[in-house]
Amino acid sequence: MNSSMEQNEMCPTCEFDKNLSILREIYFFSELPLDTLKVLAYLCTRENFKSGEYLFHQKEDDGRAFYLISGQARMFHEEGGSTVIIRDFDKDTFIGSLALLGSFRRLFSLQALTDMTCLILERQKFAKVLEQFPAIMPRVLQAAAGSIYSWEKKFLAQMDEGCDKCRRKLGVSVV
Amino acid sequence: MEKAPTPVFKRSLFSWVFSGNIKLQVILLIIVVVTVFARVLPLEMQKRIINEAINLRKIDLLLIYCGIYIAAVVLASGLKFLINVLQSIIGQQAAASMRKGLYHHILTLPLNFFRRTQPGMVVASLITELATAGDFIGMAVAIPVTSVLTLLAIAGYLFWLNPLLAALSLSIYPLVVFLLPWLQKKANRENKKRVDTTRDLSSKIAESISGIHEIQGNGAFGIENRKYDRLVDKLTKVRIRWNIYRFAIKVSNNFFNNLSPFIIFILGGYLAIKGRLELGALVAFLSAQEKLFDPWRELIDFYQSYQDASVSYKRTMEYFDAESEYVLEPADRKPFELDGNIEIKDLSFATETGVRLLSEINVSLKSGQHLALVGFSGSGKSTLALCIGQLYNYTGGNLLIGEKEVATLTKKDIVQNVGFVSQSPFIFDGTIEENLLYACRAKLNSNDAAPDSSLPSLDDMIEVLQQTGIFVDVLRFGLNTVLAYDHDKTFVAKIIRVRENFQRNYGRTLTDYVEFFDDDRYLYYSSISENLILGTPGREEFSEKKLLRNDYFTTFLKQADLTRPLMNLGADLSRQTVDILGNLPPDEVFFQQSPINADELEEYRLLAERLRKTKLHQLSIPDQERLLELALRFTPGRHKMAALPEVLEKLILEGRALFRDKISKDDPGAVSFYDISEYIYSQTILNNIFFGKTKAESPQAQEKINQSIIQLLIAEDLLEAVIKIGMDFQVGSKGDKLSGGQRQKLAIARVFLKDPKIMILDEATSALDNKSQARIQNLLETRWKGNSTVIAVVHRLDIIKNYDRVAVMKAGKIGELGSYDELMAKKGMLYELVHGTK
Repeated sequence: MNSSMEQNEMCPTCEFDKNLSILREIYFFSELPLDTLKVLAYLCTRENFKSGEYLFHQKEDDGRAFYLISGQARMFHEEGGSTVIIRDFDKDTFIGSLALLGSFRRLFSLQALTDMTCLILERQKFAKVLEQFPAIMPRVLQAAAGSIYSWEKKFLAQMDEGCDKCRRKLGVSVV
Repeated sequence: MEKAPTPVFKRSLFSWVFSGNIKLQVILLIIVVVTVFARVLPLEMQKRIINEAINLRKIDLLLIYCGIYIAAVVLASGLKFLINVLQSIIGQQAAASMRKGLYHHILTLPLNFFRRTQPGMVVASLITELATAGDFIGMAVAIPVTSVLTLLAIAGYLFWLNPLLAALSLSIYPLVVFLLPWLQKKANRENKKRVDTTRDLSSKIAESISGIHEIQGNGAFGIENRKYDRLVDKLTKVRIRWNIYRFAIKVSNNFFNNLSPFIIFILGGYLAIKGRLELGALVAFLSAQEKLFDPWRELIDFYQSYQDASVSYKRTMEYFDAESEYVLEPADRKPFELDGNIEIKDLSFATETGVRLLSEINVSLKSGQHLALVGFSGSGKSTLALCIGQLYNYTGGNLLIGEKEVATLTKKDIVQNVGFVSQSPFIFDGTIEENLLYACRAKLNSNDAAPDSSLPSLDDMIEVLQQTGIFVDVLRFGLNTVLAYDHDKTFVAKIIRVRENFQRNYGRTLTDYVEFFDDDRYLYYSSISENLILGTPGREEFSEKKLLRNDYFTTFLKQADLTRPLMNLGADLSRQTVDILGNLPPDEVFFQQSPINADELEEYRLLAERLRKTKLHQLSIPDQERLLELALRFTPGRHKMAALPEVLEKLILEGRALFRDKISKDDPGAVSFYDISEYIYSQTILNNIFFGKTKAESPQAQEKINQSIIQLLIAEDLLEAVIKIGMDFQVGSKGDKLSGGQRQKLAIARVFLKDPKIMILDEATSALDNKSQARIQNLLETRWKGNSTVIAVVHRLDIIKNYDRVAVMKAGKIGELGSYDELMAKKGMLYELVHGTK
């Protein structure tokens, strides 16, 4: 049975309202005005993934951002013939804000580790919304730049001192 | 060489008056002359009626003259109508020729032109601006000739009657000629001020409204009120002055108009008393005086429209005053069939402002060789590709295709030999098939639709659909089609067989993706009306659109206690949808998941507004029906802005059973309930195969469904038939019903189908997934290498290994040129690009 239906039967709140409150808690969208968020929440779709299914593949440009409503996902990197596990993502994580902003081929693959439900927003839809609300562009850019910046800040704070090699590659926030 | 016609943008406004219309204009002139005569004739009749018939008390003369009078009046009115008709035909024809001529010209303008031109500007020019010019052309002959001739004829007649009185009564017109334009000028100046002040006032209001936080926060009501009041006062003064001038014009017009009779009375009366003027002549004078006014006013109006038309015409034509860089078609020969050799020597390209985008480009390619152009964005690779395709006009050096200089070739020569896939290909409104044949049609015949025999066959089309990987998408479009009732019965029977096989082989495995029709369960991916009826209407009044006008059905809704809860749901849906989509344009993306269609949004917006102030039961009957209609469309699996209350769900299921019982007794033929052994004509082919509906549209779900369906269709030999249906899919304006990848695949398919000697691919596979990209690359290597010369601008470097030559571009020059292996061994620029900069 589709998960959205189960929720529907249990409580009278509609999926749209739930999507809206999820978006409001995601840093990337949190600065956006309510009328824009409503449209985005409306355009989001929910998808179920069975354990083992891929959310996206390395080298593909799927152009989608994911919010993990339930379940876990694992990120891989394919190097030559082998696959290296990078990290796992738990529920309530948002992945792929950059995929909304421009066309990139994924550098990693993401696979469902358990059965999952995700909230998905497509770049094509996001672009249409940007077209309609051009005034939000600065906030979106700020959020994108901000998330890169805070990622590196956090990385610096948590970095293992022994990781000298990594240190030489630092500086993604000053590209 | 024959004398080239004047280009459309160089033609004067008046050149349109007679072009293509000479016959009509001559007819018009003849009618005008007759009309003028018919206008003057009643004057003479008036005179004779009084002088001869009344004075001499002759009834027969009275009848004759009155007869002539009325005939002249009828003739004049009839002819006036005819003049208007002709005028309108001439005007509309002129506007049409201008629109066609200009549009045809605009399409040939260099790409540069469009970089600085907004589409809106072109639209306004072609539609609004030229309409004024067209209207003017319509009146350009008729109005001035009619008016001047009428004026002259009446004046001549008056002089013939009595020169002294004529001279005096006409003497006021020179005065009018000076005074009225002077007043008009003043009025125009005030009008301009009025427009400017209104604009200031509008922006002031807009500013206050958007800055209302600041105003209220600072309590700056006084400051803002003063600024606003000042502008209002200014506008008031300007408007008063403007109105004064306008009234002055009106009043003086009337005054002069009434002054003439005064002169006629005083002088004419005196002359009549003295016996030097007949009474009939006096009456003729009086009515002639009245008749002078109309042509006079028409002349003034004509002058005004001439001013307007010439300004907008000149502005429009000046805007498009640019020449195409190429001749479109060869005048005295067939288009060349070139071989695929390309020779580029010292080629350069500079923009109008002198920025050099390409320089010192030297490449030579043998027919059938493949060249990859790589480099960073802005390195000039796309520019070079566009120069080879004649879309940019190179400014120096030589570019030879099949030993012919590209700059000297006509567009037709290029089209005949070159195929082009641009970075973000454009797909036009129409079907998949029309878009697929776009390049072939353009190549075959630029004027008329080519006879079908010379176009590619269905097999050819299916082959390119498969090669480019859009086959599955087209199949999907076909499967999503609702068949007409009279569709081929054997096809329908085969679909029923596919359904049986589907249920047997895949029914269980696809339950996650398909919601099967089931009499005992609520269907979340079907609308409420489908849930209630779960059948196909046997008669028109039970079709989804007509349900609410069907008394039987509305009574049933009441009996099943559904009316009020459904109306409630409808109200909820309209409030939510209007709130979310209220200000968005009618774009497919926004309305895909909405129960309200784009064209109904305004209606429901007003309804939602009324709902805020009114209780449900107080709404008008049409409003209540609208809410019910919306609720009946509600499909919880698709329309996520509202929830289906559990109670309502139960009521609907009960309602379904009740409806079944009732209608089977009352009207057995009205609805045929879904039956697994029957084709359901109200549903798509895919839903028929499923005997249900898809739940998920996700890529994985689609992939799984496609795999199973394709096999089943092949087994019944239906694949081709469904593809054929799918090719009739309407792609929407700018192809917006297709994804970026689908658009790109379609554009590649279009070129493959054209099969040109030279193919230019400008990042043609950038939006495709890995598999599709690899498939197309593979095809280029196996099928086109040695046959067609390929120039591919490539962003992804993993596909260039098998190109004959790779050119690495940097800052508008070719930095490296050679085979992939050579360049990689050299460890130069390509190596750096592939492995990233250090």
